[in-house]
Amino acid sequence: MIKSIVKRDGRVVLYDEAKIAAAALKALEASGAGDAALAAQVANAVEERLTAQCGSEPPKIEQIQDAVEQELMRAGCEDAAKQFILYRANRTRIREANTSLMRAIDEITSVDARVSDMKRDNANIDGNTAMGSMLQIGTAGAKAYNAAYLLTPEQAKAYREGDIHIHDFDFYALTTTCCQIDLLRLFHGGFSTGHGYLREPQGIASYAALAAIAIQSNQNDQHGGQGVPNFDYAMAEGVRKTFAKLYQSGLQDALEDVLDSYDESVLAKMAVDAGRAVTGEEPRLGTDTEDFDAAAAKVIADTGRLSDEAAAHMVKHVRARALRRTDRETYQAMEGFVHNLNTMHSRAGAQTPFSSINYGTDTSPEGRLAIRNILKAEDAGLGHGETPIFPIHIFKVKEGVNYNPGDPNFDLFEYSCKVSAKRLFPNYVFLDSPFNLQYYKPGHPETEVATMGCRTRVMANTAYPDAEIAYSRGNLSFTSINLPRLAIEAKGDEKKFYESLDAMLELVAQQLYDRFEIQAAKHVYNYPFLMGQGVWLDSDKLGPNDEVREVLRHGSLSIGFIGLAETLTALYGHHHGETDEMQQKGLEIIGHMREFCDKRSKQTGLNYGLLATPAEGLSGRFIRMDQKRYGKIPGVTDREYYTNSFHIPVWFPISAYEKIQKEAPYHALTNAGHISYVELDGDTANNVEAFEAVVRCMHDAGIGYGSINHPVDRDPVCGYVGVIGEVCPRCGRRSGEALSEEKLAELKKLYPNATPYCGCT
Amino acid sequence: MNIESANKNGKDVGFERIRRITGYLVGTMDKWNDAKKAEERDRVKHSLTK
Repeated sequence: MIKSIVKRDGRVVLYDEAKIAAAALKALEASGAGDAALAAQVANAVEERLTAQCGSEPPKIEQIQDAVEQELMRAGCEDAAKQFILYRANRTRIREANTSLMRAIDEITSVDARVSDMKRDNANIDGNTAMGSMLQIGTAGAKAYNAAYLLTPEQAKAYREGDIHIHDFDFYALTTTCCQIDLLRLFHGGFSTGHGYLREPQGIASYAALAAIAIQSNQNDQHGGQGVPNFDYAMAEGVRKTFAKLYQSGLQDALEDVLDSYDESVLAKMAVDAGRAVTGEEPRLGTDTEDFDAAAAKVIADTGRLSDEAAAHMVKHVRARALRRTDRETYQAMEGFVHNLNTMHSRAGAQTPFSSINYGTDTSPEGRLAIRNILKAEDAGLGHGETPIFPIHIFKVKEGVNYNPGDPNFDLFEYSCKVSAKRLFPNYVFLDSPFNLQYYKPGHPETEVATMGCRTRVMANTAYPDAEIAYSRGNLSFTSINLPRLAIEAKGDEKKFYESLDAMLELVAQQLYDRFEIQAAKHVYNYPFLMGQGVWLDSDKLGPNDEVREVLRHGSLSIGFIGLAETLTALYGHHHGETDEMQQKGLEIIGHMREFCDKRSKQTGLNYGLLATPAEGLSGRFIRMDQKRYGKIPGVTDREYYTNSFHIPVWFPISAYEKIQKEAPYHALTNAGHISYVELDGDTANNVEAFEAVVRCMHDAGIGYGSINHPVDRDPVCGYVGVIGEVCPRCGRRSGEALSEEKLAELKKLYPNATPYCGCT
Repeated sequence: MNIESANKNGKDVGFERIRRITGYLVGTMDKWNDAKKAEERDRVKHSLTK
């Protein structure tokens, strides 16, 4: 006779036979056989078995569960026993998730981020702050829940064991990745971010301020970064409005000065109206200026209060002043924009938003002014000369627009190289590469490929073939495959490798589809800005309570990968940087994956694409697991990270030219996004011609998106920006060392313009 | 980023090292995870000869 039992936490509680019967009944019902009477019999038998086993000692939970299993089997209910085993396994999984969740929260709460790798999973979050920690606790909780309840057992196993990586898994049930925000569409007619309404902006200062607000608002509706595909075209409109205002108010001021009168607003307005009647638009900088100015001057001279020459002279100077002030206001607006995006921790209170801006192709005078000034602001850096982290600048390179001498924006392309050689931004997206050029329609900036800074690219549109544009679209979710593991497991058998790759592609495609189903069932009210304000393509056609399914199909589902180099080494002994034969093998693998994505797109009407994954947390996750499984295989698992996507390994010596040639063909295959890097030393980067030559090499080789890395160090004490080894070349201190008061005073004399270490007098 | 107010002469103030990580820049490598730190350490420069 059993009187009490021992629970898992050690507590002793009264034995309750009804609970055993209920559990047995559930298992019987799930297997579709048996009833309450049978369940009661099983419960009786369990008690007898336990009494025989334990005597007067109270049995433990695990013993009771074992007995239930055995008695179900003995009663001939194998299926019910199986159900009971599954139930136990599932409970165990959830219990273990809870325990590891508590352990994770314990680490987040009490361990310094500098010694906790988990807390540095995303370098944009400061894991030592209150909001940063709260964010990480939420992440840990959501991940535990999603793994236990939202994945199929097969998907959960693949994710848990490192066959695949489901990115932004904490947001699995909540939202989508990113969007290219068309600022012009958003601004026209005004918009709302919550309380109150923002009227359509009327000058460059508000255009830039609202651009930052749009990015910040949208990033709280999504888990990824936010891009602007048309920064120059959008800011140009603000520049135009500012110039028109300054032209008319400047005219009024000048008239009042010369005529010594109090209010010449009417005359100034009449003059501008006359100009507008001739050109059909507001006063512009650099377009139809002579006709406009002549018409305005005539109105003034016709009053008889000024001579023709005096009126023309006045208008000329008004224009020059308006241009100067527009330029200055634009610079300040761009400076404010960059500062804002680097300082406002508006992403869940703990991160600055991941932001990217694309520009370079607007050849209007206003667009050119905006481009020059955003570059100038990046060039100048932040308040103490620090290199801005955000936004990512992406310069769109296009022949006939800015690539060759004589192209209207060639000067801006050259300036961008100078800035990037100093500040690491802009990066470059190449519109002439065939896979980008196929979408390009002159006069339609929405067909210019724009990219997220991280590399996400959305252009093809199987769901809506008429909307193959960069604007108002983005990625929905992405999952990456551990390619090196498939290669290791194949043990040199190519056929086996491809078979397992196909199985993995199938699993990932299905998992992305399952996630899409969760995302698609959300409503407009779940995305108050992205959908509620019409930022996402066609969402303006939906009401607040509508499901977002149909418009979400504009987005992309991306299958990513890591470690092509290690994969090739595991399969064939070499990577694609070493031999041309391996390059062919590499292209076959990646081409095979792309084919799968294209096929799946056609079958489902969803935009499946192949992504050269931007792996941050992932770079170490897979290889740590694979080292445990397979040990350190030379060239495969013997480092702390797998090589990013299709890159030539970072440690492999190769010339910039060769690296670009080797990586370019993969850009054509990875239609969901790609990037190639070239690493230059600090001195080369100071050589702008060499820098530009590398960019041109990328363009000519058919790279889609590329950037050039070089060390940018700064000593906050003396303000030196450049390459710093162990010792700062300007002040001679080592990291963490103090300088004497005398030395600081001497430095201040030597570098009066250097941004001084704050606190120095 | 830096504890600039801790000591006005620069004691315990490190250098800022801006590097690119998955397309983004990061202002201090303190916040990088171990794998990315190792990758950054291993990066070799690419020469400009053909």
